[in-house]
Amino acid sequence: MVSRKPFDRIDSCRLEKVTKKYGDRFAVKNLNLEIQGGELLILIGKSGSGKTTALRMINRLIEPDSGSISVNGIDVREFDPILLRRNIGYVIQNIGLLPHLRVSENVGLILKLESWKEEKIRERVRYLLNLVSLPPQIFMERYPHELSGGQQQRVGLARAMAMNPPLFLMDEPFGALDPLLRSQLQDEFCKIKKELGRTIVFVTHDINEAFRLGDRIAVMNNAELVQVGTPEELIFSPVNDMVAEIVDSKRKYRHIDALKVRDIMQPLEKRYILHPGLSAALALDYMAKVGLEVALVFWNPENIGRVYLNDVLNAVFSGKSLEEAAKPLPLFSPEIPLLEALARLKAEGESMGLVLEADKPAGILFSDRVLENLI
Amino acid sequence: MRVWTSQLLTLRTLEHLYMLFVALFFSILLGVLIGVLTYKNRKLAASVLNSLNVVETIPDVALLVLLLPIFGIGVGPTIVASILYSILPIARNTYTGLSNVPREYIEIADALGLTQREVLFKVRFPLSLPLIAGGIRIAVVFTMGVVTLGGLIAAGGLGAALQNGIQLYDMGTILITGAWVGLIAVILDGIAGMIENIFKARYGK
Repeated sequence: MVSRKPFDRIDSCRLEKVTKKYGDRFAVKNLNLEIQGGELLILIGKSGSGKTTALRMINRLIEPDSGSISVNGIDVREFDPILLRRNIGYVIQNIGLLPHLRVSENVGLILKLESWKEEKIRERVRYLLNLVSLPPQIFMERYPHELSGGQQQRVGLARAMAMNPPLFLMDEPFGALDPLLRSQLQDEFCKIKKELGRTIVFVTHDINEAFRLGDRIAVMNNAELVQVGTPEELIFSPVNDMVAEIVDSKRKYRHIDALKVRDIMQPLEKRYILHPGLSAALALDYMAKVGLEVALVFWNPENIGRVYLNDVLNAVFSGKSLEEAAKPLPLFSPEIPLLEALARLKAEGESMGLVLEADKPAGILFSDRVLENLI
Repeated sequence: MRVWTSQLLTLRTLEHLYMLFVALFFSILLGVLIGVLTYKNRKLAASVLNSLNVVETIPDVALLVLLLPIFGIGVGPTIVASILYSILPIARNTYTGLSNVPREYIEIADALGLTQREVLFKVRFPLSLPLIAGGIRIAVVFTMGVVTLGGLIAAGGLGAALQNGIQLYDMGTILITGAWVGLIAVILDGIAGMIENIFKARYGK
């Protein structure tokens, strides 16, 4: 049997007006959601919120009553469901390793059905087991009941990756593990995720897991999508109390480690920037007039300085130029973690830093404003 | 020893085991087949399993007699009666086993992209083996009984030796043959039980 892959990579996966009813009850109601290629999208919500149903409609385990789901613009109903599913990795909470098959047979099951040669299957299984940190020589020949829960979950992950699918669907894959093991597997999963760069839809009800793993988070409640956005967007602008409660906005500082410089920086307004040719006296006038305590002197991306009002004042009295009064200030990329940036500010004894994006000043990070933004 | 040689017990035992294994072979074949077919066709399931149940309620002696007009006497009707008797436990256990495979395994098999056929033969069937083995174990005991009764209708086997003993009122023959039949039954049941347990152990839980 030669099978054609329905898609080699994911550009986008769209759910449009998707509705599924069981009896009178909506399992999913008018769901519109776009999953971007390469991202890890979290579906979060209480049990019965429709997250698992939404997930299962993507690989056609459940067919929607109305609406459409498309991958790269092609409706999934146009794909053969078997080929579609073989091209989508699937991991569930209770793992579902087949108890009558050895680890190697579980992982290589679909490869065998796809008529791969025995030697190629073993090679692939070895590679995958190594990837999930299970030494193949120890684990290949074991039966699932001879493995611990964490080991079983790793095998489940390896099995999902067997066909090298561009898209993964994961339904609380770490839900059944004890907290310590869970965080260890989450870390490993993050690494694997980076290496593979796949598109992943991940169902969970654990907000910490969502923050830890998700690029974006879609909050579902009562069969409907409530809000979708990055962790920061949900924390700082929840659309309603329910989302606020889920992301625990009232205690935002708990999530400070999920934040990046971009989330806290102040947009850089033109008025903060002084022209380097300006004399100290004119700069003083300007700053006093506009009411600036601090300003930036901007020559070029490699050469930016900051001056406080006092510095300018001193410069005027001592006859120094603006250039001499300016001191270099820490530069940050908007994508680095906030905590890292704050640590650097502290180490350098600075209270502000400039955020550069593509060599252009994009914002200012004030260490004393961080707290204001958080509380 | 006198009984053993006079009643040709070695020969009788071989005849007995021959009938037993032929009957078991076909009842396993038919039982599993019927089990799979009824599983695939739920509408059929109730009626087929019910008619097999009816067969099961006919006392074994009566069944043998009922088969006489069709199959005559001897080995034929004995084997047929054994098969009719043994199909039910095997078919029923196969059906139950296939139907009751835990949902999570079916769900993951579907999600991995197994076809319906592959789910049946690669997942449902292997996972049903412990239960099917249990059905076969019951069938072994049934078949043992019916084959022994075959002695009544000139099928040979150890039943014939028992009949001789009863007709001659030869206590020694009755006791020794009876004990021998019983021992074989216990041993076969033990072997079947071992196989069942191996399946259970292998498939976890």
